[in-house]
Amino acid sequence: MESLVDDPNTSYFETATSRWISDHAPTGILVTDTSLTIRYCNKWVVKQTGKKEDDIVGHRLLSVFPEIEMRGLAHYYRAALKGESHVLSFRLHKYLLQMPVNRGAPLVDQMQQSCRIAPLLDGEIVTGTITIIEDVTERTARERELRSQLGERERLLASELEARRLAEENSRLKDEFLATVSHEIRAPLNAIRGWTLILRGGSVDKETFDHALDTIDRNVVSQSQVIEDLLDISRMVTGQMKLEFRPVDLCESIESALDDLSPAAVTKEIRLIKTISPAASIVSGDGDRIRQILWNLISNAIKFTPAKGTVEVILHGDEDFAEVTVRDNGSGIPPEFQPFVFDRFRQADGGMKRRHGGLGLGLSIVKSLVEMHGGTVSVESGGEGAGTAFSVRIPRLLGRRDDEISEMADSFSNSAQPLKMLNCRIMIVDDDDDSREMLRILLSTRNAEVLAAGSAWEALAHFETFNPDIVISDLGMPEMDGYDLIRQIRTSLSKELSNVPAIALTGYVSADEQKRVKASGFDAHLSKPLDQTILVQTISDLLGGISR
Amino acid sequence: MILTDEQRDALGEFINIAFSRTASSLSQITGQRVLLDVPQVEIYPIEEVASNLDRFLPGDVASIHQPFDGAIAGDAFLILNYEGAVRLTDLLTDGSTAQTKLDESSREVLTEVGNILLNACLGMFGNVLRVRVSFSVPSLHLESLESLMDSLREEHENLQYAIIVYTSFRIKETQVTGYLVLVLSIVSLNRLIEEIERWEQRHEDQIHITG
Repeated sequence: MESLVDDPNTSYFETATSRWISDHAPTGILVTDTSLTIRYCNKWVVKQTGKKEDDIVGHRLLSVFPEIEMRGLAHYYRAALKGESHVLSFRLHKYLLQMPVNRGAPLVDQMQQSCRIAPLLDGEIVTGTITIIEDVTERTARERELRSQLGERERLLASELEARRLAEENSRLKDEFLATVSHEIRAPLNAIRGWTLILRGGSVDKETFDHALDTIDRNVVSQSQVIEDLLDISRMVTGQMKLEFRPVDLCESIESALDDLSPAAVTKEIRLIKTISPAASIVSGDGDRIRQILWNLISNAIKFTPAKGTVEVILHGDEDFAEVTVRDNGSGIPPEFQPFVFDRFRQADGGMKRRHGGLGLGLSIVKSLVEMHGGTVSVESGGEGAGTAFSVRIPRLLGRRDDEISEMADSFSNSAQPLKMLNCRIMIVDDDDDSREMLRILLSTRNAEVLAAGSAWEALAHFETFNPDIVISDLGMPEMDGYDLIRQIRTSLSKELSNVPAIALTGYVSADEQKRVKASGFDAHLSKPLDQTILVQTISDLLGGISR
Repeated sequence: MILTDEQRDALGEFINIAFSRTASSLSQITGQRVLLDVPQVEIYPIEEVASNLDRFLPGDVASIHQPFDGAIAGDAFLILNYEGAVRLTDLLTDGSTAQTKLDESSREVLTEVGNILLNACLGMFGNVLRVRVSFSVPSLHLESLESLMDSLREEHENLQYAIIVYTSFRIKETQVTGYLVLVLSIVSLNRLIEEIERWEQRHEDQIHITG
């Protein structure tokens, strides 16, 4: 008896191969006849559907798998019977047959499938349909993962690019700023130099002479302001700015600022109006800095208001906050610029063609100072030509009654002092000839008896004979500096002399340096360039504390 | 082969009808409104296809290839430029990620879209022209137009003419341009034209009858 294998007329190997392949295929294979009765399904289908082969083969396709009709996919089979082949992509259809996921595939309950539904042909005649089902659950999970990674990368890239753009913009602003600073510092120096040369030339009439001094003084003041602003910003940035919180009467601060600025207002015929509700005037803060805030805002208002305009300062508030508004009817701030008004390096018209001088740091300093007081600052402007209003809100002193507060305010307030005469002996120690001479002349005009020593040695040599009431010494001197001097005074001299009050003079001084000065034995320190009023006041205060 | 103006018109009309059915089945499947512009039909000898289409399809193209067999036999292609393919896929699957590469799932969607379009067209042979045609499962290729045409010529020496239908789809305000290309032997092309003319005749007769 011949076996099928040896019979050349059978397509045994072909059939055996087909059978083996379908049984072991990693995809589902379903074959129907033209009445859509399932005639064959491979092992994959049995396993994945969880149905028994007997329940599949020999039954109607749409009965065994009702989900096909329910999901509107039955028409593909009708099309196949007409000879059409169809692709059912996973993305558009999700699945054909309901089958659970294989273990290891996350996040979905239903297996995600990609299918082909095609006619079986014998020549031109359709004999049935064949369905191929591929499990793409894992593949799509991987694709999703990849896509989200790519998305993430793109987002990161976009944010990096934005950060870089901002950094470049910042850098450009800083460059612009440096150029402005350079100009603002040099310009006054030029003026000062120029006029001093003129004065040196001799033969100037009184009018020119007065004008020269005026100009020089004005430029020194403006340059000091520029440098103070720079230093303030530097201190703020490095976190070295320290405020002393005390009760501050805003009425007085406003008065003081308006007084300072009234000459500038008068020059432009600008009206300064004050609208104060005194009930809201006491806040907790650093008096000097609050004055600085108000000065900046009012000064800006005057600067940007044309001649004959108005600047109004309004104080009102409630239990919790005091609010000061500085309103002008000047050139206004264009709306595009309003969000940037308090930025550190921005000026609405930066660059070489600026109409208004200055560094543009004022508002940035104001904002930082206000925030250090726990307050907020805001701006409102109708736009070009519509005026501007800056409002500062500062929290009031909490937990105290109003009369207590006002008592405290009185005892701390800086009342203005008239020009003082100093009838005392002052020893000056400074190695810089110009500074020393200037100080000597200044103090002499206040009726002080002055000994000016050019070094610590000289000072010590004359100490006993001169017997000064107060010592003012520069710190930075060669060989023996201010610290050495004060140590000598405090430790080596006789008891009466060693207690003498001493003021240290310094240039820029860090917070640490300030501590060192006080700790070393000095009673006070002042920074250059010297402010006459402050110097005299300090001397007076120190002398007042000693009974002689 | 030169078609007469009438034959050209008839072919054009035939394709138009095929495409309008396509738009609706695409809309149904994807759940989005798909608008197909009025297609323009041209016939070229196969050697000239690449050069004619090159200016519209520079670089790599995505082509869905569906061979068909029967009284009219040949190869049908839907050809899109690569970016168009990506865009189309994204639009159809509501892709919120703007992909620049086609992953496997996207290729599959493209294949299905091509399948739907080509089926609609080829299905007309059976329905309207009453010519028995069967078509296989389509496949997607990503390559240059030139190499596509080359490989085609290598396989079938007797394929000589290509009917090119220039069409564009509009989905959600985005336009994607593609070409439907039917590559036929001269025998099949003749048969196609014959059947179209016969269909036209039937059409006219019907009008006369219904008056």
